[in-house]
Amino acid sequence: MGHLALDPGRGGMAFSAAPMTAALDLPDLLGLVAAGDRSALRSLYERQSSRLFGIANAILRDRDVAADAVQEVFLRVARRAGQFDRGRGSAEAWLAGITRHAALDILRARGRELPTDDPALGDEAVSPEAEARLIATAEGRRLRDCLAALEPKNRFGIILAFVHGLSHPQIAERLGTPLGTTKSWIRRGLLALKECLS
Amino acid sequence: MIPLDPVERDAMAAEYVLGTLGAGEAREIEQAMETDPALRAAVEAWQARLGPMSALAAPELPPPGLWERIERALAPPPEVVALPAPKPRAPVLWRAWALGASAVAAGLAALLVLRPAPAPEPRLMTVLLTQQDQPAWLVEAERGGLRLASLNPQPVPDDRVMQLWALPQGAAAPTSLGLIPAGEGRITVAPAAIRPEPGMLIEITLEPQGGSPTGRPTGPVLFIGRLAPASGA
Repeated sequence: MGHLALDPGRGGMAFSAAPMTAALDLPDLLGLVAAGDRSALRSLYERQSSRLFGIANAILRDRDVAADAVQEVFLRVARRAGQFDRGRGSAEAWLAGITRHAALDILRARGRELPTDDPALGDEAVSPEAEARLIATAEGRRLRDCLAALEPKNRFGIILAFVHGLSHPQIAERLGTPLGTTKSWIRRGLLALKECLS
Repeated sequence: MIPLDPVERDAMAAEYVLGTLGAGEAREIEQAMETDPALRAAVEAWQARLGPMSALAAPELPPPGLWERIERALAPPPEVVALPAPKPRAPVLWRAWALGASAVAAGLAALLVLRPAPAPEPRLMTVLLTQQDQPAWLVEAERGGLRLASLNPQPVPDDRVMQLWALPQGAAAPTSLGLIPAGEGRITVAPAAIRPEPGMLIEITLEPQGGSPTGRPTGPVLFIGRLAPASGA
């Protein structure tokens, strides 16, 4: 933070917001948020809220509830920004992780009662546009290649769980496979991914 | 139960990140991660492996007004000096409360005494922050007790008092460490019931004269922080 002599967190934030934070990267912004700078949090919101809302809504499939989740995400970020460590991963990944867990917490609190019989559920996540977003990063390209090497049902099960928050029984129902089989497929799929990515 | 077998543990870490664990198991993993660096590393490794899949969710503009909602939720608590008086209570309850409160206060006063303890321990400290994350109190653990120094003294209404609490990790409810005498910028507490430990949450709430009548925080949290080893300790 040494180079950021921005006097974080004190008065006049409303004025300092856009121009002063525009040149900062996400880890810099998180550093300012950790020091109590509300304008940095707002910049973070402006840059990341669409991506994070998309992640939450893919899991919750209800815009109102997804908005609640994103609100919780930014409250958590305001409290925990100091825990972000740029040596341990990207800020994007850190924020996405907080978002998924906030959405999953809501889902679990409601007993995962969301309907899963929408025949299109999961299609968006395997569309060419989705794949294009995935392969925009080097890690994403590697993961895409490793996902492509899985059995289609394993791959789809893992995507339904990760992207849409489906439970084992819901995935089993969706794929029309027995629960035990589904569980062991997913487990084998995860092991294969670990192997492939190592 | 988190399995001991490394292969099973890694599989559970993977399912935690994938999101397929139930609420109870997920909570177990989150709690265990705080004290189990190997498990934490396993979870982080799975986050690194699977995390890029988040890009498969299509970005979507959130509903208008969401930032304003977030900002309201982050809003500072009411000014300390402008807090509304507590709602009047039924007389019978009030009397019972007053009796109990003086007993509580007597007990609390006894706690606000330095208790010498011989064993050296890793230096733990934290800075209690306001709801706007402004530093308010420096807290240092010392010989089994806590030393507090006010960084930015604020007045408290005449009919209110600041009460200090500690919440050890995993505890269901905070333990009162006593009342902070009005105008006091430096105090030392030597709680008999708890020992300072890493991760312990320290908070100061605003309570009625004599301290919380219930033994649990009832007023707004003014300042909060978590004890951690001082760097270089």
